[in-house]
Amino acid sequence: MEKTTGAMAATAGILLFLPLAGLDSFLLDVMATGFLLSVFAGSWDIVGGVAGQVSLGHALFFGSATYACAVLTTLLRWPFPLAAAAAILLSSAAGAAVGVLSAPLKGPFVAVVTLALGEAAHEAALGHIFPGGAGGYAWGGEGGVPVTLPWETASPLSSYYAALAFLFAATWAMVLFRRSREGLILRAVAGSELAARASGVDAARHKRRAFAISAGLAGAAGVAYAAHMGRAAATDFSLELSFQAAAFAAVGGRGTVIGPVVAAVLLHTLLQGLAVPPGTRILFFAFTLLLFLRFFPGGIAGALAAARERGRRLPGRKRKPARARRAHP
Amino acid sequence: MTPLLEAREIRKAFDGDRVLDGVTLSLAPGEAVGLIGPNGSGKTTLIDILSGLTKPDAGTVGFEGREIGGLPMDARYRAGIARTFQVPSPYPALSVLEAVLVPMAAASQRGRRGGAGEEEEPALALLRRVGLFDQRCVPCARLSQGCLRRLELARALACRPRVLLLDEIFSALSASDEAELVALLATSNREDGTAFLLVSHNPPLLASTCGRILTLKGGRISRERAV
Repeated sequence: MEKTTGAMAATAGILLFLPLAGLDSFLLDVMATGFLLSVFAGSWDIVGGVAGQVSLGHALFFGSATYACAVLTTLLRWPFPLAAAAAILLSSAAGAAVGVLSAPLKGPFVAVVTLALGEAAHEAALGHIFPGGAGGYAWGGEGGVPVTLPWETASPLSSYYAALAFLFAATWAMVLFRRSREGLILRAVAGSELAARASGVDAARHKRRAFAISAGLAGAAGVAYAAHMGRAAATDFSLELSFQAAAFAAVGGRGTVIGPVVAAVLLHTLLQGLAVPPGTRILFFAFTLLLFLRFFPGGIAGALAAARERGRRLPGRKRKPARARRAHP
Repeated sequence: MTPLLEAREIRKAFDGDRVLDGVTLSLAPGEAVGLIGPNGSGKTTLIDILSGLTKPDAGTVGFEGREIGGLPMDARYRAGIARTFQVPSPYPALSVLEAVLVPMAAASQRGRRGGAGEEEEPALALLRRVGLFDQRCVPCARLSQGCLRRLELARALACRPRVLLLDEIFSALSASDEAELVALLATSNREDGTAFLLVSHNPPLLASTCGRILTLKGGRISRERAV
């Protein structure tokens, strides 16, 4: 835990002062968006990594929140904070419903069900038109729905710092969750559902809970994203977004929470900074996912841990005595 | 005296092949019972049914005087019926200590709430008891067969069960590992009053650890003898 705290504090220090290095508004915007998508990747890791339920339709929860936020603030004229809370609750409820459907399933069937639900939501968002916009203007379809915010415009610098604060608060919460009793139980279910059940764990109940919590976090990321972009778009439900979260987690190290978050910040900034087109991006995510699952199943975090372990086992290296209190490494 | 665990007329067939054909047995509180039989005689199937992993085609299972046929395996563990597996399936990424904390965490979430670190001391004490204290930070995936068996027993004992169903827990163990686990079982039986049903292919071992030995053959209890 001390290591995690130290690493997070060091990263916070760097990211806090990074804008002073003269980043232009484009890069500030890319990084702010990256921070929000990192929280989404972390939320994927709660269900896909910690609980071992690989979801390929996680954008469903993200898009539900962006759309709920947009529809409630713009079409129903709800105040933004109330709409944001309702949007997060809606995502969490969607997660609980998906959890009910997928909890009895195992392995690839969870991925197939979530993929199908995510794509169904994407198609629905693409095809649905909301009447009743200002001046008879209809919203929806590919263009999406604007979000009505309580502030006029936010400067790139203030957006950057708001997104950074959100990233750290959400990551900290997710790290604490992973280390909690519930996190331990979910990691056990991911490792061996049979052994977990023989240890008194109601695996289906905990998987449903993992979906609801993870979807709520994805919803929080969606609300922040909608506020940042000022609009909910059909791409918020896209397969690319779901693949992206899974790929970031695979690269960073599934089940570690921190790994996917860091990988998301770095890869998003890299891909956006290099202006990689969307079609190429989805190929990149799909290949990265396959490559890492085949050759580095533990991701970079797993590869680093294995290298550390190999170093420790080298002849002539003294082994440090194991620490007694490290129950949740 | 009311039996602690009781199975009546248990029948089970797989694809028309009858494995258990009216098995009836009971365990008294604190009793140690051995179960022996040829390969394929249905010993593991019986353990699966008693532990709630498999549903019987017919027959009833009772625990502490009430019918528990509808309870799944996790609920039976929480009720006090723990089991081990013939082939342990450990959590590869969890440490030994975490693996023992899982049943304690699950029990804590179900009512006995407390601080997050509340279970750690009893878990460490249990690991000392089963001889895994020094490996407490080792990932389960790196344990030897002997240590995996010890961990399996520790997991089963974590919530102080009233009945232990032990499926060939001594197989593929060295003589010293076997002696240590036998001593551990005897202690648990004597001090905590844990009843156990021990499946084994080793008659002398059953004779030294159990008060009664049942032979399962042809899908039925064909012989019962007191030791």
